[in-house]
Amino acid sequence: MKAFQFVTARDSRHALALMGAHGSSGRFLAGGTDLLVELKSASGVPELIVDIAGLEELKGIAVNERGLRIGAMVTHSEIMASSIIRELAPALAEAAHTIGAVQTRNLGTLGGNLVTGVPSMDGGPALMALEAQVTVMGAEGCRHLPICEFFRGPRKTALGPAELLQEIVIPARNLGKPTKFLKFGLRKGQALALVNVAASLWVNWDEHVFVEPRIALGAVAPTVMRAKHAESHLEGRAITPEVMTEAGDFAAAEADPISDFRASAGYRRDLIAVLVARALAGAYACAKAEHEGKAR
Amino acid sequence: MTNLTLNVNGEIRSASVPPETTLLDLLRDYFSLTGAKRGCDVGDCGACTVIVDGKPVNACLMLAGQAHGRAVLTIEGLATRERLHPIQTAFEERAALQCGFCGPGVILSAKALLERNPNPTVRDIRDAISGNLCRCTGYTKMIEAIQEAARALRGETRERAVPVPVEGARP
Ligand SMILES: Cc1cc2nc3c(=O)[nH]c(=O)nc-3n(C[C@H](O)[C@H](O)[C@H](O)COP(=O)(O)OP(=O)(O)OC[C@H]3O[C@@H](n4cnc5c(N)ncnc54)[C@H](O)[C@@H]3O)c2cc1C
Repeated sequence: MKAFQFVTARDSRHALALMGAHGSSGRFLAGGTDLLVELKSASGVPELIVDIAGLEELKGIAVNERGLRIGAMVTHSEIMASSIIRELAPALAEAAHTIGAVQTRNLGTLGGNLVTGVPSMDGGPALMALEAQVTVMGAEGCRHLPICEFFRGPRKTALGPAELLQEIVIPARNLGKPTKFLKFGLRKGQALALVNVAASLWVNWDEHVFVEPRIALGAVAPTVMRAKHAESHLEGRAITPEVMTEAGDFAAAEADPISDFRASAGYRRDLIAVLVARALAGAYACAKAEHEGKAR
Repeated sequence: MTNLTLNVNGEIRSASVPPETTLLDLLRDYFSLTGAKRGCDVGDCGACTVIVDGKPVNACLMLAGQAHGRAVLTIEGLATRERLHPIQTAFEERAALQCGFCGPGVILSAKALLERNPNPTVRDIRDAISGNLCRCTGYTKMIEAIQEAARALRGETRERAVPVPVEGARP
């Protein structure tokens, strides 16, 4: 690794001030599982690394009036172990479990995962299917934006060079919304997604129709994306396996996958169709189990 | 330079290192603890696994400065002069290692697992060591050894006290 300066930030003001003074030649360090790999290979190494592990404002998992708040510095292991997340947004815990291996999950954070802006990130789809919001902190204060506006392109986000991702909030109205996350990689362990998918839905049981179906796809476009044609195909429609398959075909058509050394674009499209139908069936199964549990 | 103080295998150690030093460099090059291996150096192989504050991590993906004030356990801290750790005993008895390069990492991953979960299923074990690549064994004997160690640590089998070879005593 090339030489750089290393500072442990005391709090967010300190971190933002340091970065403000360094502009684009500085980088924040969260878990380091992405940044260290980059530093070891990159030619243009930053002058300053600011360790943000001690920032209290970026920690914690709790329910508040806005919804379920997850601090950006929460690790994937903490997400898997959180009883609050497992109860209110279990798909997030399932997604966290698919990230790397134990060692990576113990260091890697949800915030770091989102800020990388890597299209195959496993932390993104379930949050997008639950219409999460993120809070961005700058020297001037905080701004909130929907997660789909946070991602701007491959490895590009809405963050300015001297801004921190502070927290992710799943809105209160979507807590407990039946959701399923699925990832297809070339191996079970330690594999990046060829395609990952999350689907969430409510069911109107009187008419047995989809309500607010949300589908998010990863690794098949410049950013994690919503499959809006597939969603509108489902909205208000009677729930059948056939209609789920149709939604999968819509999603495959509206995605924009690339061919690379992991898979061809055509193979990725086939995976989208299958995974979307399965994720919808999985979310529906969760909804049904809960509905029958209540009825009993 | 980054000045740091940390607990390594129960001892307080200090060092002054260039900021770009990783925890793996610190352990191997400054403290001469070469049990953690440099394999891929990018977090894929797990040969550098050490336990930081109770959690297995890849030492190659942590800057030394991030370990300031923390407790690090390496394979050198597992056995005492008199006795191997039950996981090490089980690995020896089951011949669970071949070339041994991945061994320190696998054993520390197993230790962290058994501390959290004294009675793991085969699936739990596979999950716990999925970040430790082994190109010799095919993992089967490792999994058996970890199950055996779990039984020993639960007190279900009588442990044999295997003496640690004393340095210089071997031919
Ligand atoms: C072996 C291995 C396997 C992996 N497997 C997967 C996988 O299966 N799925 C997957 O999605 N990812 C995977 N990753 C990628 C990586 O581990 C994750 O993306 C992880 O969540 C990154 O988080 P971090 O805290 O380590 O980020 P860091 O490396 O610390 O930071 C990443 C980037 O985000 C910035 N940053 C971090 N936090 C903030 C913040 N709060 N505010 C502003 N900027 C911030 C940093 O400046 C840096 O640019 C893997 C990585 C490795 C090494």
